[in-house]
Amino acid sequence: MALRKFINFNTFNIIRPFCFKSAISLENLYPNKSLKIFTPQQTVEQSTGGFTGHIPIEKLQITYSRSSGPGGQNVNTLNSKVDLRFHVESADWLSSEVRAKLMEMNKTKISKEGFLILRSEKTRSQQLNVADIMQKLRAIIRAAEAEPEPISEESEERARKRKLKAARLRLQEKRNRSFTKSQRQAPVDF
Amino acid sequence: MSKNITEYALSMLRSLPRVSLSNIRDNPRAYRPTKRGRGQHGGDKHGAGNKGSGQRQNYMRLGYETGNNPFYLRFPLEPYYKGQHLRREYPPITLHQLQKLIDTNRLDTSEPIDLTAICNSGLFTILPERRQYGFQLKDEGADIFKAKVNIEVQWASEPAIAAIERNGGVITVAYYDIHSLFAAVNPIKFFRKGEPIPRRMIPYTDELAAYYSDPANRGYLADPEKVSWERFVLSQKYGYVLPCLENDPDYEMLIQRKDPRQIFQGLEPGWIINLKDKKILKPKSKELNEFYSS
Repeated sequence: MALRKFINFNTFNIIRPFCFKSAISLENLYPNKSLKIFTPQQTVEQSTGGFTGHIPIEKLQITYSRSSGPGGQNVNTLNSKVDLRFHVESADWLSSEVRAKLMEMNKTKISKEGFLILRSEKTRSQQLNVADIMQKLRAIIRAAEAEPEPISEESEERARKRKLKAARLRLQEKRNRSFTKSQRQAPVDF
Repeated sequence: MSKNITEYALSMLRSLPRVSLSNIRDNPRAYRPTKRGRGQHGGDKHGAGNKGSGQRQNYMRLGYETGNNPFYLRFPLEPYYKGQHLRREYPPITLHQLQKLIDTNRLDTSEPIDLTAICNSGLFTILPERRQYGFQLKDEGADIFKAKVNIEVQWASEPAIAAIERNGGVITVAYYDIHSLFAAVNPIKFFRKGEPIPRRMIPYTDELAAYYSDPANRGYLADPEKVSWERFVLSQKYGYVLPCLENDPDYEMLIQRKDPRQIFQGLEPGWIINLKDKKILKPKSKELNEFYSS
């Protein structure tokens, strides 16, 4: 009796790992693959190939505040407005050309200290506003990186002709007006 | 050598013309041709009555009511409930409600949370008989959600997934068929039946299968490698630093997953749970074991 109790006690203490694997388990659906969730490497590689879309979040300063506008208790108490800023000159995750272009294109968004400031209070949710601001930031960086499209010879030729025609018409109009005005003066007797 | 009967049949098939109405006929005595009635009972008007459309084979169309608006045209089509009995429902549970459950100790975050755990809290329920296929996780309360959980729901919106993952948790969406749902929603009632635990079935439409195999939705049938990549992409989209799961002390609990055929954590399909005697009865025969693990 005592021996049986001892055996029962022993078997309860053995913890076997639960390992039920059916025919459609992940091991069978994806053979020869690691089935554990891992965290990918998060270093930014911008040196070659330009902006990949990867932004190091830890290098940005994101702060939250109350949104403006109507909304009662919701807008008064929740911090749904998002403010994102980073120092452009010292942003080593962007190439120097892109940094210079950013400074030039977004003059109105850059503070005296050199911080690019973006704000968003588009939605009711802080999370979605952060997503909106990230989208804006990516759009700005892509615009700074974009090279202007080469103008074709035909377009240039057409533009030149347009300018000449505009000037011609302007001068013609000016001459006509001048004649009309001069007709209103008394004739000069020679 | 002499050809066998199969070879003969096959060579005939190759040479004979295509089967059509002109070269087939019924078996002999399969039907008996009707004969026109003669004599006192079958003759005279031959069952066609007197004059009218009946005798002259000039019949009115089915449903015609000699001019007035017929029954089948009186009522316009108003298909408000068409297919209602087939539509799936996913009762919502918000992140706000989930946080409340965790804060009031109704859910244990040290174990994976699934449909059964939420139903066992007593505050939320799923009615499979009303075609409710499980919970959908909504993003209301995403801004205040703070818990680190390993959660399994049946549908999840992208902001809800982001909110769970930014706090270091793991979310999976998994499909339960109706029979498995009856078991999962009220396990004690199911165990009292004395039936073996069923296998969970795979999604029954192509659309559903595609949804649950998509790593962007964190499907339970998706490749975990791709899911890991999607986690990173979402963190970039929603602007948060993805917490490193490997460094977490609860890593083993967080990556724990049920098998696609499993309903209950720690219990296999095919087992019978005896609550009264606190015993588990497992099938011994090879065929049964093969079936339940197929």
